[in-house]
Amino acid sequence: MTLAKLKRIDQARIEISPDYKEGMRVKGIIYVDELLEKELEPQAIDQVANVATLPGIVGASMAMPDIHTGYGFAIGGVAAFDLKEGIVSPGGVGYDINCGVRLLRSNLTRQEVLPKLENLVNLLYSEIPAGVGSKGKIRLSPEDQKRILVRGARWAVEQGFGDAEDLQKIESGGCMEGADPSLISNKAYERGRAQQGTLGSGNHFLEIQYVDEIFDERAANILGLFKDHITLMIHTGSRGFGHQVCTDFLQVMERAAQKYRIPLYDKELACAPYDSPDARDYLAAMKAAANYAWANRQCIMHWAREVFMKQFGLPPGKLGMNLIYDVAHNIAKIEEHEINGIRRKLIVHRKGATRAFPPGHPELPDVYKPLGQPVLIPGDMGRSSFVLLGTQKAMEETFGSTCHGAGRLMSRHQAIRRAKGRSIRREMEDKGIIVRSAGRDTLAEEMSDAYKDISNVVEVVHRAGISTKVVRLKPLGVIKG
Amino acid sequence: MKPFEILDISGDIGLRSFGKTVQEAFVNAAIGMYSLITDTGKIEEKKSIDVSLENDSLDSLLVAWLNELVFHFDAYGFIGQKISITESDLEPATLKSYRLNAVLSGEEFDPDRHESRLLIKAATYHRLRIAKVNEIWKIEVIFDI
Repeated sequence: MTLAKLKRIDQARIEISPDYKEGMRVKGIIYVDELLEKELEPQAIDQVANVATLPGIVGASMAMPDIHTGYGFAIGGVAAFDLKEGIVSPGGVGYDINCGVRLLRSNLTRQEVLPKLENLVNLLYSEIPAGVGSKGKIRLSPEDQKRILVRGARWAVEQGFGDAEDLQKIESGGCMEGADPSLISNKAYERGRAQQGTLGSGNHFLEIQYVDEIFDERAANILGLFKDHITLMIHTGSRGFGHQVCTDFLQVMERAAQKYRIPLYDKELACAPYDSPDARDYLAAMKAAANYAWANRQCIMHWAREVFMKQFGLPPGKLGMNLIYDVAHNIAKIEEHEINGIRRKLIVHRKGATRAFPPGHPELPDVYKPLGQPVLIPGDMGRSSFVLLGTQKAMEETFGSTCHGAGRLMSRHQAIRRAKGRSIRREMEDKGIIVRSAGRDTLAEEMSDAYKDISNVVEVVHRAGISTKVVRLKPLGVIKG
Repeated sequence: MKPFEILDISGDIGLRSFGKTVQEAFVNAAIGMYSLITDTGKIEEKKSIDVSLENDSLDSLLVAWLNELVFHFDAYGFIGQKISITESDLEPATLKSYRLNAVLSGEEFDPDRHESRLLIKAATYHRLRIAKVNEIWKIEVIFDI
């Protein structure tokens, strides 16, 4: 490994020189401070360099401080490609298309919730399907499923899951235009049929939290986040539907890369020119999966609101459980960015990275135009999560992107070994956090020690100025798959 | 010879499977994958499915094989207990087309009776290896979970 070709640019960034490996068209930039640099995996660095070899890449191949080894692209990767010379790659989006996070505020305080916390967690656990082999409460007819793919969260609202006003607080309004249900395989339809409105497993969760610390009083007020108030965070994606879309199109793209003679360091980087039928088909299918995910988070949110209403006997107006925002962190999108003074349309891939648009951006809802886009960063189940805001500097440096989470530190088996003889559930309870999980080893695999400290990750993006801290949230109740 | 072992990697999980024939290594990779999802000791042979696949490389056929089983689990809950490859063209490496037919018997996963372990999204090409070393076929494959 030629680590000598890594050079520190400033406190927050290191550069991978274009002569790090053959074929690099641009440099690589990784957002890490000296602390997180020590945790960099050589393979992840290599993946950032591999992405820099892809045709039509613009600026730099980037990675956020929660970087770790992924498939093809590193997790935490951001790469933008020219629409004429560039490519589209399913590996730059990931298997869980539109995996993302949404956050709800509430008028409830921690003191009001604590006496009912255990009931609340149990009720949420029984109402929201989670875990391996769990089935959703919604059975979709083929026509329904197609409508979800085209309408996303709008479909959910039309079915009575949530309110129309939720939609403006979702990235892309909860629906990407241009999804084409005719490009979806029967297998993806079969996997998606019973999984709408399910949480899944692994690092996905639903969490009751409280506002623990406020860094930006003005922004927190506008967002409706007050000290000790309860929030609810949902982290899930497009479930088996999206995984199958990715699996299907990796095969298509592998053949396409051969057809268009695109040299690849890694099969998982399989791609096709943006201006090709293969890429058009993938993007239309990816949008369908993204819409499936937005509908999924909308349904889960609706049931969670119902549980709170039932538990506290309060109407929606009193409860004030309004959606703050919903972000995608595995997605590819056409966006306008300024490159050397010229505005260009680019296809931006974010794989384990969050969009972080600045104040005034036309894609933000009016209420957030003065603030910038809310960015939701989930941490591990024992530490904390953050709300940040997008900035102009992110627009200039990272195609309007920032980190997406803590990033794993330990393998699952290391974590299980570390947890041996311990009851993670009990340890969490001692910290005042109630957890429920379906999987035998989920709690051990997902324990705090297995992750980088989210505060360190957030500190890097905050200091780099690619997003700024608004509040820190602490967990009280966690539902895991 | 043990049928498979688990590869520990950060983020996700992998398998190394072994076989006296490439067919046996394919079967052991599938059994290993099922053991990541649940305790296969509790799975009974109640129904069977047929799988028939063809691909232009052995690597792609292996990934397609495991992803076919991921699909049958994720869409229908099917977990295999007994797996046999009934017909196949997997050697030599000069083949233009690789194919296999298999029969799997098992049952539908029931979260109340069966242990939940990992939810596998897909088998990947990441660090994929299929090789014959000292007369033993060895497969290494990593799953996105």
